[in-house]
Amino acid sequence: MSNKQQHPNLLTQGVFIFVYLAVLTALEFFVAVTFNSVVILVAVALVKAALVLWYYMHVNKLSESDESNHEAYAYKSGTNRLGLWLFLVSDSFVFGGLMVMRLSLLGMTRPDLSQTLGFFVTAVLLISSFFMNRGEVELHNGNRQGFLRNTMVTFVLGLFFLLGVILVEWHTVPAIAEPILHLFGEPEGKPLLKASSGPAGAAFFMMTGMHAFHVLTGLILLLIIWVNGKKGLYDEKQYPVEAAAVYWHFIDVVWIFFYPALYLIGTAV
Amino acid sequence: MKNNSLGRAFLLLVIAGAIGYGIGLGIDFSIRGELKLSASVPSAFALLFSFTAFFFGLYGYRGITRGLVFQVVGTVIGAALVTGIRALMGLESIGAFLFTEPAWVFGALVGVISFFFGVGVMTDWVKWARGIDTPDHHEDEPGWQKYFGVSLDHKVIGIQYTVTALFLLAVGGTFALIFRTELAASGLDFLTLDLDVFNQNGPQLYNTLMSLHGMIMIVSILLGISGIMNYVVPLLVGAHDMAFPRMNAFAYWVAVPASVLLLLALILGGFDTGWTGYPPLSSRAPLGVQMFFLGVFTAGWSSILGALNVIATVVRMRARGMTAMRMPILVWASVATSIIALTATQLIGLSFQLVMFQRLFGMGFFDPGKGGNPVLFQHLFWFYSHPAVYVFVLPGLGVISELLPVFVRKPLFGYRWVAMSSLGIALVGFVVWAHHMFTSGMNEYLRVPFMYSTMLVAVPTGVKFFSWVATMWGGKIETPTPMLFVLGSIVVFLLGGVTGPPNAMVALDLHLHDTYWVVGHFHDTIFGGFVFPFFAAIYYWFPKATGRKMNEFWGKVHFWLMTPSFFALTLGMMFIGLRGMRRRIVDYDPALGFDGAHLFLTVCAFLIAISILIFFINFFRSIKHGEPATGNTWNSRSPEWQVPSPMPAHNYEVPFEVVGEPYDYGLPGSKFVEFAAKTAGKH
Repeated sequence: MSNKQQHPNLLTQGVFIFVYLAVLTALEFFVAVTFNSVVILVAVALVKAALVLWYYMHVNKLSESDESNHEAYAYKSGTNRLGLWLFLVSDSFVFGGLMVMRLSLLGMTRPDLSQTLGFFVTAVLLISSFFMNRGEVELHNGNRQGFLRNTMVTFVLGLFFLLGVILVEWHTVPAIAEPILHLFGEPEGKPLLKASSGPAGAAFFMMTGMHAFHVLTGLILLLIIWVNGKKGLYDEKQYPVEAAAVYWHFIDVVWIFFYPALYLIGTAV
Repeated sequence: MKNNSLGRAFLLLVIAGAIGYGIGLGIDFSIRGELKLSASVPSAFALLFSFTAFFFGLYGYRGITRGLVFQVVGTVIGAALVTGIRALMGLESIGAFLFTEPAWVFGALVGVISFFFGVGVMTDWVKWARGIDTPDHHEDEPGWQKYFGVSLDHKVIGIQYTVTALFLLAVGGTFALIFRTELAASGLDFLTLDLDVFNQNGPQLYNTLMSLHGMIMIVSILLGISGIMNYVVPLLVGAHDMAFPRMNAFAYWVAVPASVLLLLALILGGFDTGWTGYPPLSSRAPLGVQMFFLGVFTAGWSSILGALNVIATVVRMRARGMTAMRMPILVWASVATSIIALTATQLIGLSFQLVMFQRLFGMGFFDPGKGGNPVLFQHLFWFYSHPAVYVFVLPGLGVISELLPVFVRKPLFGYRWVAMSSLGIALVGFVVWAHHMFTSGMNEYLRVPFMYSTMLVAVPTGVKFFSWVATMWGGKIETPTPMLFVLGSIVVFLLGGVTGPPNAMVALDLHLHDTYWVVGHFHDTIFGGFVFPFFAAIYYWFPKATGRKMNEFWGKVHFWLMTPSFFALTLGMMFIGLRGMRRRIVDYDPALGFDGAHLFLTVCAFLIAISILIFFINFFRSIKHGEPATGNTWNSRSPEWQVPSPMPAHNYEVPFEVVGEPYDYGLPGSKFVEFAAKTAGKH
């Protein structure tokens, strides 16, 4: 195969992109806790999103259409890819609407939450995206075991993120949430953010809730491709894995914007 | 055979309705402690039981029947689950409508999801998730049965959409007749204060019917355009089906449970918010508003997924040689409409969802008492709901441009401009929403920019009008029924168009807002942009679907009865609107002197209803008894008419190639499509 040469490069590329994203995330955190410039935070989020869109989600694949036989698997995958991206465009209008809601109700204030905990869950999701990309490349390289391993790591990290948001940030199970929040420097007896307490709580629960719902659906897709991948279903026809991966990265892109909107910009109220 | 099953279906409808009513009455009695015949719960049971039994009688326990059974059972299980949890938590567990509001909402959601599994639209996807491959196509049953179950054929789905749209049109129209009757004279004479139906008195029922008339008609229109696009677009571009046949079926079947929820909204206490559902009104309306929100939210998914499918089909599945500038105008219009439906629809879903959560969890998005902002709702809501009217009319305008050259035997004037004008309307449509909010208390500096952007819509719309007029100029105009409706839509849409700019102007709108002027304007745009072209499309493509023509005489009666009545209706509405008649209200001061005008409007409304009834009879009769028409009935150049009707299951037996311009009627020697030579052995 002529493009065999490229595949190790793709793995290396994934590592480099991850390093860029990690550095930008750290920079973003630093900017937020020091001089809190909204312009820089927005710029950093845009660069991060662009990196994920281009290198992890391969948005450029949309313009590939050299196949003229409409019944070929490659052509059908191209149609499916277009459908998936159209869906993501549609979905981003929900998240855009939520962002408008947040900016309209809260302006340059933000919910009073632990910024370190926010940084931690963001890191978990970002690392999961790295492993997702690795899994996809491994499958492309013909390494089924590598694909399964990396997908499982992605799944576990995603689950970790979901539980972190629902159990700890939402404070659904105080016995679990309180020690962890304490660990992340939240003073005891601090009034809890509630969905019904005011605009900050409403915006926070709605935005994280909608995002968590997407994480949950993403986890289901990951489980499906893991189980079917184990049976060897995707050794030849790999589009379903690509679809699940693109969806998973999309969830990450949404969080790239939601994280600064909820944890970083403005002053806490 | 069919008549037998139809008779049985109606018999079962009555019996099951009575049984459901009885059960509901018993349950209601046990909660209330007194017997109340017109309460909500018995009627809700009667509605669900009779619907299900009707389809059972017609079709047996499969397809739609199974879906409805699953929906009912799912709703009850979901609601019972929440009720049980609430009881364990020591919260109130029984409400005025049997279940409490959270239980109803969760139950309704579970019911919708159950419907999908019941009807069988998820079967293939579940198999794929389990790693089982399925064939690309499933064979449909022959005959009428295939319309009551899941079919993957875009033509079957198109007809399912169209018939469902016509059903909802009849329901929404009936609601209009009821409240129009109340308006015929001042005072509460028909929907009186003593009335007590579905936990609502007369005026409250008026509010519910008026609100539901709006939303049921909107859903009907969305299904109607999906019907046209589904049936026609793959044929026009030469595809064997839509890009995603399973999602196409899913998008249709989403609309069925959504329609059930909208009807439940009427029964479960109704709502008095208008179709717009503005908070704070909607945050304290009766339970019905939650069913309304959930129904609209669900129907929205039908629109979004259908739009996605149309775009993917047009981008990926066009015949050889069909470059962008050789696509039929209807295809351009479908893409333009789908761009809006794909994206903006999410915002109405979101805005309704936020009010639902505000009611359920006390999240104060739009509650000023909790730091929320009611005007924010209006921004989110109109970001969809204004472009939505372009979603409604663009396919209709496409139908006009598509049919006009056929009946004037001349090329379409300014093809490129017309193609681009659809996209132009769609894109400008995204930046005009706040013209609905000039009186809402939003920031005043927003008014003028939105006034200008709104006026800008007139430019691409004007392009279409000039094209139509220039196309007709000097043509050999024939006027069979479809062409009559095309001409009707041009005139009616013109009336709707010229009454628009006055609303766009801030200074005038401050006075016109919330008057009957707006009602008249709106109905003109929607009848001109959707209803007339929809009828034109049905009369025109009916032979393609059935191999028979609809009756010309009754088609003309339909047109000549509906058009003058409709003109009188909307001009009358605008007339009293300018004189100060407020919209949406159940009663008006007799001193205004509008009694005579309102009586006249009510008569017009009934005349329109009669014309639609004639259409319905003609439609269903012609399926069996229409004049056979299997050839190129209208002498069209379009590819679908070059093959015999009705269209076979996978469309064109041999593919075609586009070799010329689509609308070069009357130019000697010009050709649009060329079919490949049939391979030997096929016949």
